[in-house]
Amino acid sequence: MHSLHSRLLLTASLVLAGFLGTTGLALDKAFRVSAEAAMQDRLQSHIYALLAAADEDTDGRMTPPQQLPEPRFSKPDSGLYAVITGDGGEPLWRSASLTGREVAVTEQQSPGERRFSRIARAGMQLYTLAFGVAWEDYAGTESLYTYTVAEDTSVFEAEVDSFRSTLWRWLGGMALMLLIAQGFILRWGLRPLRRVTTDLQQIEKGHTDRLDGPYPRELAGLTSSLNSLIEHSKSVQSRYRNSLDDLAHSLKTPLAILQSSHPDGNDADADHSLVREQVQRMDEIISHQLQRAAVSGRATLAKPVAVGKVVERLVRSLDKVYRGKRPTVTLELDPSATFSGDEADLMEVLGNLLENAYKYCGSMIRVCVQMDKHSNGIEISIEDDGPGIAPQQVDSVLQRGTRMDESIPGQGIGLSMASEIITLYGGQLAFAASPLGGALLRINFGTND
Amino acid sequence: MHILVVEDETRLREQLRDQLRHSGYVVDVAADGEEGLYFGEHYPLDLAIIDIGLPKLSGIELIRRLRSRDRHFPILILTARGNWQDKVEGLETGADDYLVKPFHFEELEARLNALLRRASGWSKPVLDCGPISLDTAKQSITVSGSAVELTAFEYRVLEYLMLHAGEVISKTELTDNIYEQDYDRDSNVLEVFIGRLRRKLDPDNTLAPIETLRGRGYRFRLQANAG
Repeated sequence: MHSLHSRLLLTASLVLAGFLGTTGLALDKAFRVSAEAAMQDRLQSHIYALLAAADEDTDGRMTPPQQLPEPRFSKPDSGLYAVITGDGGEPLWRSASLTGREVAVTEQQSPGERRFSRIARAGMQLYTLAFGVAWEDYAGTESLYTYTVAEDTSVFEAEVDSFRSTLWRWLGGMALMLLIAQGFILRWGLRPLRRVTTDLQQIEKGHTDRLDGPYPRELAGLTSSLNSLIEHSKSVQSRYRNSLDDLAHSLKTPLAILQSSHPDGNDADADHSLVREQVQRMDEIISHQLQRAAVSGRATLAKPVAVGKVVERLVRSLDKVYRGKRPTVTLELDPSATFSGDEADLMEVLGNLLENAYKYCGSMIRVCVQMDKHSNGIEISIEDDGPGIAPQQVDSVLQRGTRMDESIPGQGIGLSMASEIITLYGGQLAFAASPLGGALLRINFGTND
Repeated sequence: MHILVVEDETRLREQLRDQLRHSGYVVDVAADGEEGLYFGEHYPLDLAIIDIGLPKLSGIELIRRLRSRDRHFPILILTARGNWQDKVEGLETGADDYLVKPFHFEELEARLNALLRRASGWSKPVLDCGPISLDTAKQSITVSGSAVELTAFEYRVLEYLMLHAGEVISKTELTDNIYEQDYDRDSNVLEVFIGRLRRKLDPDNTLAPIETLRGRGYRFRLQANAG
């Protein structure tokens, strides 16, 4: 059970079913009890009516009723029956409705006592009420009789059935309505949670950098913790980067001193060039490893970076540095192209590649940034009219700096660095010949989605 | 040429000072951003080398303040981190070039020469005035195609005059750009250098490239060749 929604819905439905079921059973039971009481009352009133209809003979002894109060007593198989028995249990009178039936339904009762029961005799379900009566004649002799009235249960059962079906229909309707209402309540109640989820997705895609919406009190703790977690991860990343930068700074200044120190005399020249070469190698190793460690990779909590802006800044800066050369730079920038990652990493990639273009071009550079329709990512191409890179050189160019023994003093590690960052971001770097005459470097970055 | 070096690492600062002086530049050094700002504001500089990571006032802030106070001399930034964000920030703030530590001194010197040359309006690394050709990259001189050997100081004097070809350069300005501030101004060492230069460039006294304007200073008489 991984969904809060279905979890709540299931438990609430179970509780609801239990509650409504018990209510239904209790109501059913209560109705039955009260219907049976009503039946007993009815049978009692039949007995009183029979007693009232009974006559006396000349001695004052009871004679069975001639005029029956209820026509159903006279109609055979009407479902309402009466029997009067004497003291010994011998039937003194049977109602006409009992004609053709041999049903012993009597139990002797003492005067004033009654007994209500449900019996099944000869395929009939009956409610019977036996009532004991003492009848005193004029001589003062008391005779005991038992009046028994029985009624078929079918009417009673029909009544109960109709009540029951009405009851369950209403309860079922109520249950359905409650379930629907509950579904709505859950949807509405859990909406803030769903919003937190979509807001988090926005952060992941980099459209925003913190949870800012108005959240209910119960979620405020969660969202503020998430915000501080996000900030923490950012600060950890920048602290990491800063300490790496500090390390680079503290290592590189001594290297700079070593590198630019003069040899003492001519015989030290050989040693000095060895030192320089080794310093150069150390520098390249440091640069390479530090850059590699500092690359944040696919940063999921970063704002998207407008690629065009970065290209423009770099081109403006490089124009300044290469003022003497002043190549013609053509920019085709799609302003909607964004890079989901760290701006510093993107700048490192494009800076290194653009600097190579400025360094090696004749007089023309073209930079093109566009959305890649197929992958929904971005494609950046940088080309120039320089000497280009021969296909067999590509590997060695990319390897430089990564394998120490191949590093050549005085040569930058820009291209291999850029290539490595692109790989860390899951992108691709491809080389081709440019129509301008030199190298064409094409970078593809996918999306975070 | 008057250069300011702002670098907090003492060894590197002193090394740069010595090497630049050896190459014939006039060098002032500052160990932090505030000191650098003082020198930058009060001294006539031709160029500043500024480390990005400075105490008290960061290199970027130093450049921003210098530029906002209308100091337009070229600035070369040194960066240890070598990341593009630093470089771009520095260049956008007003620096003209960057160099990543560690560097070869030759590389630094080449960048300085290019910056100084560009600041004087020369776009090519070779200054051609008549038959005299000065290669700022190689720091070599040829007259009518044959090489002429100059000392570092002689070279600096000639380079300064040629960068400002056609302009009158006062003795004080030239001295300031060749010697440290505390140098004895009354000495006639400058006249001696000019004399030596004239003899080396023009032994037959036919070109007379350097004019003496009495009471005003010197002028490199030959105009820059077109193209």
